[in-house]
Amino acid sequence: MQGTKVVRPFPFFRAGARASQPQLAKPILVLEDVYKFFRPDEPTLRGVNLKVERGEFAFITGPSGAGKSTLLKLLYRELMVDEGRVLFCGRDIGRLTDKSIPFLRRNLGIVFQDFRIIDHWTVFENIAVALEILSMPQRLIRSRVAEALERVGLNGRGDEQTSNLSGGEKQRVAVARAIVPEPALILADEPTGNLDPHLAIDILTLFEEINSTGTTVLFATHDHSLISKRDHRLISIDEGRVVEARQGLKDWPGSGIHTLVG
Amino acid sequence: MDVKSAMTRARRGLREERRLYVVAVSSLAVAFLCLGATLLGVTNLDAAADRWGQSGRITLFLKDDADPQDVAQLRVVLEGLSDVREVAHVTPEQAKASFLEEADVGADLSALPKEVFPASLEVSLVNGVTRERSESIATRLGQFRAVSDVESYGSWFQKLDHLLWGARMLAAGLALLVMFCVIAVIGNTIRLAVARRRQEIQVMKLCGATNGFVRGPFVLEGMFQGFASALLAVLALLAGYLSLHESVDSTLAALTGSRVVFLGVWTWLLLLTGGALIGAIGSALSVRRYLSV
Ligand SMILES: Nc1ncnc2c1ncn2[C@@H]1O[C@H](COP(=O)(O)OP(=O)(O)OP(=O)(O)O)[C@@H](O)[C@H]1O
Ligand SMILES: [Mg+2]
Repeated sequence: MQGTKVVRPFPFFRAGARASQPQLAKPILVLEDVYKFFRPDEPTLRGVNLKVERGEFAFITGPSGAGKSTLLKLLYRELMVDEGRVLFCGRDIGRLTDKSIPFLRRNLGIVFQDFRIIDHWTVFENIAVALEILSMPQRLIRSRVAEALERVGLNGRGDEQTSNLSGGEKQRVAVARAIVPEPALILADEPTGNLDPHLAIDILTLFEEINSTGTTVLFATHDHSLISKRDHRLISIDEGRVVEARQGLKDWPGSGIHTLVG
Repeated sequence: MDVKSAMTRARRGLREERRLYVVAVSSLAVAFLCLGATLLGVTNLDAAADRWGQSGRITLFLKDDADPQDVAQLRVVLEGLSDVREVAHVTPEQAKASFLEEADVGADLSALPKEVFPASLEVSLVNGVTRERSESIATRLGQFRAVSDVESYGSWFQKLDHLLWGARMLAAGLALLVMFCVIAVIGNTIRLAVARRRQEIQVMKLCGATNGFVRGPFVLEGMFQGFASALLAVLALLAGYLSLHESVDSTLAALTGSRVVFLGVWTWLLLLTGGALIGAIGSALSVRRYLSV
């Protein structure tokens, strides 16, 4: 369906295209002075500057309504920046045509608080969909899905009906769907928001394991018990601006956790 | 677009939305049935017209007091014409006998006096004689002394032509109407299906599915619905034809001398492919509108 005559500004985001050496040398994500307005007088994001290197694990935090989800939406082009630039592997994704957006998203794995699992599909079908989109042969899909299921700890449960799974298991399926195409960057928007604290740690650990294989992870959460347990980079959004800490809360520039949650 | 994957997903869609689709297909089948029935009428009128047009005929009714010598001379003249294939003399007795044999009208007509049936010369023309030509031959033959009346079936043909034209227009109008019906019904069904599958569409898009990938199955599902409705209508029509044609045939044969025929291969193939095509168009229009990425 994708005609070859379509002129795409960034051939990197074409199906099957691989990043070139100079692209790989660039930071995976750079935000330059990004503004996002929902109301003309009051920007949700005002002048956000951010650089994420390949292989990093970073929490994105901030009070409810701060713009965490908005920031992530800008990255997978659900929303467009109003000012500034978002560079993914050095490419300005604000300038992508509609036809190129799917090819940008094939480089991303996205996980949500509400799982977004199709209940009347089996576990296998829910994960395989990410590979069917890439027109991968069924044989390969089967082995890759089996592998992903093993990584999220659902070994051999592909044939189960998703509606019967617990919340934690559903989120594992969602994570498997996100990682199965081996994306460069994982965007998780409050992936533990619907899970009890114990399960939350499990899921966080799962993302850390994925990160240890070289995948960059951005993990949005406002759960401080989770953040305080780890020393990851902390990106906090408050009143539209970013405040950062390299080494988790102990490195936090403000006067403690209260400046963080507001 | 990966056609195989689209077909797999369309099959799943058809299974999941079968209730919705059964309603759409059965109502569209009724629309196609109306169109098919009209086309069947056109086909049969066409066949009759063809049959009559092909075997050009002129009937020369002879005067009751015609001189046998004049009649004999007339036959010689007729047999000399290059357009004439055969001339047969029908006596009043023969005319009455064949009428009684063919017309199964129920009432006892054998009491009719044989004078009701005048003697005639049945002139069969060779194939390919135009109607104008047969008309002019008829006018000339009418001037012979032994002839009381000439029937060249010209007005009959004109009526048939009018009827055919009317039936064709009706079929064309119905075809247009059915087309809109299919586009509207399938478009609406697909719109509902899109709404019901909104969640999985969203998931696919977040995973990087192109518009074509998401839309493909819906277009196939619409195509299938169009095809299934047309097929259902053709099958119903065929069943009706097979169960009725024998009883209809005998009366029709008596009246017009032709038999009932079913839709030609091309007609029903056209119905099926047309159904599939318009179904695909209807759903493509619908997904274009309701499935923006
Ligand atoms: N599509 C939209 N139209 C208008 N306003 C929006 C839209 N999306 C978000 N907003 C506004 O932008 C602000 C940031 O919303 P966002 O969802 O990014 O917050 P968040 O940090 O993810 O909050 P939470 O922790 O509750 O998920 C909110 O004030 C919200 O009302
Ligand atoms: Mg949010």
